[in-house]
Amino acid sequence: MARDVTIPVDVGPAEIAQERKAPTPAQRDVVFDIDGLTVSYGSTTAISRVDLDVYRNLITAVIGPSGCGKSTFIRCLNRMNDLVPGARIDGQVLYRGQDLYADGVDPVEVRRRIGMVFQRANPFPKSIYDNVAWGPRVLGMKKDLDGRIERALTDAALWDEVKDRLKKSALSLSGGQQQRLCIARAIAIEPEVLLLDEPASALDPIATSAIEDLMHELKKEYTLVIVTHNMQQAARVADLTAFFSLEVGESKRTGVLVEYDTTDKIFTNPSDQRTEDYVTGRFG
Amino acid sequence: MRTTFQDELALLEATLQEEGALVLRALRGAINALEQRDEELADEVIAFDDDVDERYVRIEEGIQLLLARQTPVATDLRLVLAILHINLHLERMADYCVTIAKLSKLVPEVDPGPRFVEGFEEMGSRCEEMIRIALDSFGNRDLEGAESLVDLDELVDRANRRVVARILELGGDPEMREYGLRMVVVSRALERIGDHAVDIGEQTAYLLAAEFREFTDASHPSPREA
Repeated sequence: MARDVTIPVDVGPAEIAQERKAPTPAQRDVVFDIDGLTVSYGSTTAISRVDLDVYRNLITAVIGPSGCGKSTFIRCLNRMNDLVPGARIDGQVLYRGQDLYADGVDPVEVRRRIGMVFQRANPFPKSIYDNVAWGPRVLGMKKDLDGRIERALTDAALWDEVKDRLKKSALSLSGGQQQRLCIARAIAIEPEVLLLDEPASALDPIATSAIEDLMHELKKEYTLVIVTHNMQQAARVADLTAFFSLEVGESKRTGVLVEYDTTDKIFTNPSDQRTEDYVTGRFG
Repeated sequence: MRTTFQDELALLEATLQEEGALVLRALRGAINALEQRDEELADEVIAFDDDVDERYVRIEEGIQLLLARQTPVATDLRLVLAILHINLHLERMADYCVTIAKLSKLVPEVDPGPRFVEGFEEMGSRCEEMIRIALDSFGNRDLEGAESLVDLDELVDRANRRVVARILELGGDPEMREYGLRMVVVSRALERIGDHAVDIGEQTAYLLAAEFREFTDASHPSPREA
């Protein structure tokens, strides 16, 4: 008698699927709480009144057409815009409840906790080892420097490729390796957040794929925010996606946040028609 | 290497195989309920269909997200499309099992003789074998195994014709006639399960050969079938 019909079949795939789902809003831990963020350069408003939360151990992607203020936005998260003459920042960027733009906040300390990787790999013209050792040395993290460097290079998925030539110049590495070296350099000082501004746009597809795989590994330890003009890259890697667009007024164009949701939602059923038009390629 | 994407594909395929295992259990339950007139077991088979549907929906949603986010191409694209089709075939098979279970509860108390039950047992176990081969040949990317389903289906079709011939011999007693009518539908359900197994084989062939072809074509029969 086939009474065993009531015995459940091994539920492995269901459990795995559940684990892979992005956490529900209630399970998310806020790292950045951004309120009414407006950035102007002189008389030009680059982005206007952006409200957005960034969550711990998730990858948040920022997408949108050229000039919509994606890079301006991400640069506010570690005060990189301070370096732009005439930049003015209004609104609030709270990092773990602390206003990053409050009086007395040291931008160097901000950038130690919130690292950044740029579009063009920019290693120093020094050895591979010295590139990664630079941050820890400056910050006086001299204990077990070799171990720290090995960990950073391993986490950046570069160790196996460079362990036999650590004293060689960083400039001898390929573009993709240089970019992973910059990631290793950023994580060697154990930041909490990694900001990635178009990290793969200068790389070929194989190197891009390596960076994307790496991001999935990194999010176990870090919170990642990535700016990309490559929509498919956001679709592939991000848990949450923010779509920025340009609001065109009389002789003025301002970047605004149109929609921010799970990547699943943005790419299957976005709420805003402008998002739909952008992700389907009808605009931008 | 796009490890996330490969993991997601593997997960979809594992869920599909799991759905297949559930269909096999549903089929065995339906056949046993019919043979042993076990209403309780029939109810279990009917309730059990929700488990199959849950996998079905999960695979559908997973494929939607995979297409939207990972833009699969080449073999990966064919694999995703094959899973999409096989998912539907398995879900249909499970529905036929529910049909059999429901009909097994409706039959009047008549004794059509032991040969009847033998006919359904034969069809049921042949269908089980076909589902196993369909799932294994898909999982092992085995073209020969997939193509062997055509001959196995022919055996199910013959068994179906034998069952129908026996039904016609049941005579004119109203209860027996009602029983016969219901059993025609059961036989038809099993025959259709075999057809869906062949369709799964066709998806395996599509995955491997990158070209869709029907193994058999009912509207243009080959000389052997005519």
